Amino acid sequence: MAAIRVCDLRKSYGDVQALDGLSLSVDEGEFFGLLGPNGAGKTTLINVLVGLVRATGGEASVFGYDVVDHYREVRDRIGLAPQEYNVDRFFPIREVLEHKAGYHGFDRRTASRRALEALEIVGIAGKADARFHQLSGGMKRRFMLARALVSGPELLILDEPTAGVDVQLRHDLWEIIERMNAAGTTVLLTTHYIEEAERLCDRVAILDQGRKVEVAAPDELTRRGTDTLDIGLANPPATAPQFSRDGVVSARMDDGRLLVTARGGSELVPDVLRDLETKGYTVTDLDVRRASLEEVFVDITRTAEGTL
Amino acid sequence: MTGSRTAPGSDGRTDAPYTDGGTGADTSEGGSLLGTDATTAAEAGQKAGGLTGVRALLRREILRFVRRPGNTFLPPMVTNVLYFAVFGVILGGRIDQIAGFDYIVFLLPGLIVLGTISNAFENASFSIFHGRWNEYIETVIVSPLSNWMFVAAYVVASAIRGLLVGAIIATIGLAFVTVTDRSIAVAEPLYLVAFMLVISTLFAGLGVVGGLWARDFDYLTVMNQFIVRPLVFFGGVFYSLDVLPTVYRLLSLSNPMVYMVNGVRYGFLGYSDVEPLLALMVLSGCTVVVIALDVWLFRRGYGIVN
Repeated sequence: MAAIRVCDLRKSYGDVQALDGLSLSVDEGEFFGLLGPNGAGKTTLINVLVGLVRATGGEASVFGYDVVDHYREVRDRIGLAPQEYNVDRFFPIREVLEHKAGYHGFDRRTASRRALEALEIVGIAGKADARFHQLSGGMKRRFMLARALVSGPELLILDEPTAGVDVQLRHDLWEIIERMNAAGTTVLLTTHYIEEAERLCDRVAILDQGRKVEVAAPDELTRRGTDTLDIGLANPPATAPQFSRDGVVSARMDDGRLLVTARGGSELVPDVLRDLETKGYTVTDLDVRRASLEEVFVDITRTAEGTL
Repeated sequence: MTGSRTAPGSDGRTDAPYTDGGTGADTSEGGSLLGTDATTAAEAGQKAGGLTGVRALLRREILRFVRRPGNTFLPPMVTNVLYFAVFGVILGGRIDQIAGFDYIVFLLPGLIVLGTISNAFENASFSIFHGRWNEYIETVIVSPLSNWMFVAAYVVASAIRGLLVGAIIATIGLAFVTVTDRSIAVAEPLYLVAFMLVISTLFAGLGVVGGLWARDFDYLTVMNQFIVRPLVFFGGVFYSLDVLPTVYRLLSLSNPMVYMVNGVRYGFLGYSDVEPLLALMVLSGCTVVVIALDVWLFRRGYGIVN
């Protein structure tokens, strides 16, 4: 069963189409990333799933339950860490978690225990009696994750969970999320950090202007990008030799080194070396620089805009 | 506790079966949070959260005002000490009996109504608006509570605050009545209880509408100062309708507050300007309509959902 299934989803705010016929499916247990520029519709999609935004068209379901008709079944399965802080400031954070667990049906004793466990997992149990506004920026992000997981969700939705945090904390948070996923929790993650998606996600969807542009595994996407073969030659020529092979995009000389850009670059290495040998060059060293997901992402979203 | 997820044993393992399932049930391995359990609320045949969910929200709502007595209980105490001292004792001594009662005795039920409905209204409107303003009401909305559960928790908590304030005012009033060598008894206890329950619930329900409608903190002030208060002051808190010329007396009968004040006054004194049973029925009808409106607004997501 799909953890999330979205079909031709639409949401308009006046003239603005926040979601423009988005269709998407996330498998149970999957770690799924949503990438896209600001305003691509990522947060709108999340808010439709949890019931904070009502779609103007199309359908969305979570674990087979329609998000409107069976909103309680849907919401019981979701743990949400939104990008914007929306924490009850009347109560200490421990109690905020107790309330949240309570809303999901845990009795007071269990809710209380889960609240402390959640704070321990994210490493801020020592601040249990502090209020949210008294926490540091990093602790606030930790707390948002604790609140998302206190109800033991089957689907964890994280909207920019590591926005504005330092490298160490980012890795801490990743580790917790990865453990959740390894234990069977489906994760939907939006992020601006491409590295985050590359490292964590089984698949990513690239959204742009409320539509899905691409869905694939991060590896697959990077394979579609162009790699660079950085080749040192014993007798570098002034102009680069040309290659008539499928996949080679260009070749040029840069500071005495031959730079060949190619799709699936590593597979082309033997052919390129053979060609160079045939042309009488002696290769002294070779370095393959793989396309980053970031470059692919920029390419894809730029192309999508160009076709409008 | 029916409808709740059970606590695990002291060793952290879950021994008892889940009473309503729940997706967030503990795994059997040391009650770890990480990971999920196959048991879902739907599979266990019960709605997510069950009554435990609505109890948790009700508890949150009650704790919110109980823990801030300086903001919730102290102001009506001060105000009513002033009312009783100035209107009841200082001015009241110079006013003839109204409908056969000393003025301070006549005044007491009206002041209870004023305090009860103002606080019930303020609690619901403030709590909901504050949650919207700071967006933490989203945490409640994305929880598996049904629309009527949201309404029940906000309305019941707010009605309780109204009733507590009413009790505080009654105590202050009795102290003033006793000190001035007068006495007051409850003539119609069932009517008193019924009217107090109905008016506190009605204004808690109206407060929910106000909290969802407000776009700014100023709206809350406007609603209380310009709508609730004038209706109460012209609603017979401080005088009997008998003292009014006929035109104004008839006009007053279109003010719903007249029925509330007179209903509670009937409970205490056995005296009312209007027929108490009819008043009770009409007010109960209004309450049902307002609560239904609350549920409908939540269902529509009014003021919260885009």
